[in-house]
Amino acid sequence: MTSSVLEIKGLKKTYRSRGGPRRALDGFDMHVEAGQVHGFLGPNGSGKTTTLRTLLGLIKSDGGEMRILGSELPEALPKVVSQVGAIVESPQFFANFTARDTLSLLADAGDLPQSRVDWAFELVGLRDRANERVKTYSLGMKQRLAVASALLKQPRLLILDEPANGLDPGGIREMREMMATLSAGGMTVVLSSHILSEIQVICDQVTIISLGRRVAYGPVSEVLAAHSTGQVKVVLESAVDLGLAASVLMNAGLAATVNGDHLLVSGVDKPASISRALAAQQLYVAELTPQHADLESVFLELTGTAPVPGQHRSVDDSVRVESGQ
Amino acid sequence: MSLVKAERRRFFKRRMTVWMLVIGLAILGAIGAGFVATHSKHTPEAVAAGEAKAKAAYAKEVREFEDKWKKECEATSKDPAACQGPPAEYFTAEHYMKPEFDFKLFYGEILIIWAAIMAMIAFVLGATYIGAEWSSGAMMNLLTWRPKRISVLGTKLGVLLGSMAAIGTATLLLWTGMLWGIAKVAGHTNGMTGSAWGSFGLAGLRGVAMIMAFAALGFGLASLGRHTALALGVAIGVVIVGQIGLSIVLAMADVPFFERYLIPVHMDAWLKKSVELEGGGYTCGPSGCIPEAVSELTYKTSGLIGLAVVVAVTALAFWSIKRRDVA
Repeated sequence: MTSSVLEIKGLKKTYRSRGGPRRALDGFDMHVEAGQVHGFLGPNGSGKTTTLRTLLGLIKSDGGEMRILGSELPEALPKVVSQVGAIVESPQFFANFTARDTLSLLADAGDLPQSRVDWAFELVGLRDRANERVKTYSLGMKQRLAVASALLKQPRLLILDEPANGLDPGGIREMREMMATLSAGGMTVVLSSHILSEIQVICDQVTIISLGRRVAYGPVSEVLAAHSTGQVKVVLESAVDLGLAASVLMNAGLAATVNGDHLLVSGVDKPASISRALAAQQLYVAELTPQHADLESVFLELTGTAPVPGQHRSVDDSVRVESGQ
Repeated sequence: MSLVKAERRRFFKRRMTVWMLVIGLAILGAIGAGFVATHSKHTPEAVAAGEAKAKAAYAKEVREFEDKWKKECEATSKDPAACQGPPAEYFTAEHYMKPEFDFKLFYGEILIIWAAIMAMIAFVLGATYIGAEWSSGAMMNLLTWRPKRISVLGTKLGVLLGSMAAIGTATLLLWTGMLWGIAKVAGHTNGMTGSAWGSFGLAGLRGVAMIMAFAALGFGLASLGRHTALALGVAIGVVIVGQIGLSIVLAMADVPFFERYLIPVHMDAWLKKSVELEGGGYTCGPSGCIPEAVSELTYKTSGLIGLAVVVAVTALAFWSIKRRDVA
């Protein structure tokens, strides 16, 4: 039995500026279950940060409903904020304070025991550098410090905006393992990131936002399956037989196209039928690979942000979706 | 209380706080050293030495007069008997001695030095204390811990005012102690009765209040602009355009009592309880020149104006943080 930790329904926000109003959130919906690691994806300017800031009470929405841990926001935010740890857009810390001072002051501000400070440093791997000034930290270390500040509350809901920003590969892996550990311990994590391969590995569910609206949501596997092409890549022992093989497969009722040094076959129920049909004509398969969609291609497809040779994309050139899919 | 503790720790941990206080104390110390260097106690030995110098100077002047100017004077003057050389009463011992530092006379007059320096420091500390938080994103981070914006800004302002009251009082005591020491070394403390101390104490308290007002002003302006630069920009603008420029224009336009529009005059009135402004030219006679018109500026008027400005700016800052998005 799961319960909702975060619910957003029809969230709206329009920024008014000299250039005219800009709709950042246009009826956005989101739902995060307890104990999940939930990926929150969207291109630049799609409304991710606006959503997170609205949740945290930094921005006032123009409409819609939000709940965290069952409490309605923003009214109940002061009550639930002690259970929500968040970093939004790489918070900057005072450069001349040590990392320990930084977290110690936050612990005081949050009425938390100072012992939490060492616990958080240990968790993000900064224990031995805690007494150094923040200005001596690399970007990745500052990011770790930001994550440590969010963890200080030992929250039930952890919201991380680009936590892997500036981390080296080892740091990214550590971050991934840390999130898995936190999630296993019952913490719900909402993770906004552009490293889609990481999201695919870490997250149980995803929400994809484009132009202020949800364009996809659900378990990662389901989102991928919904956008899978069902194609199979076929590599033959001899590439000169590709044309003949395509004819054989089309005669067998399959749609096959030559794609460089291999065939792409669609409408395949059982991949074994391909090798059987080709072997009957003494054409032998060297490689038979079902083509799965990855999160990056799904993301690019859904948000319409795939690069096009010779074109320069504006940050607002995303896909307009009329209703949640 | 936890946020108060955190903010108090942060305020005194800031390098800006430490450096501004060190610089302020160094300036006040240098001024004290200047007083020591330019004043001395009038001991019998010092008076005797001054008298000797005066006598020698008088003798030198008389000699010079008789050698160079007497004949010329007698030849050209209608009253040759008047050619007597420099009068002896011009050569008193006081002219050849450093003045005494009269604690009672000087304290109230120079209180504005301490108050103005500390007020400037308070303005900068108030502005940077909140301005740095806004511009660095630390304020946004704090609001994710404490989502009650008014309460957070109010706590910060309270901590700033409390800290500046403590700093103002401590530096007032140091300033008073330093001047007392200077008077003991290079002057006197005559006439310091209980009522004199009471009057100085009240003036000092008004000085502390002024320091707190400047801190609140810097804090409010930087909070409105969400950056230290706004407060410092306004301060520079007010000093250059609103004070130097305005005083030149008003003086050229012969506006009577134009000093009423100048902040330092209000600061002076606030500390001294009142200042007399002179206007409309002077009438000169045998006993000297007297102004044709006089206007009094009292500490009540100056205090009310200052309070209105501070309340308006801080109220706007609170309104702004409540209404505006934090982005």
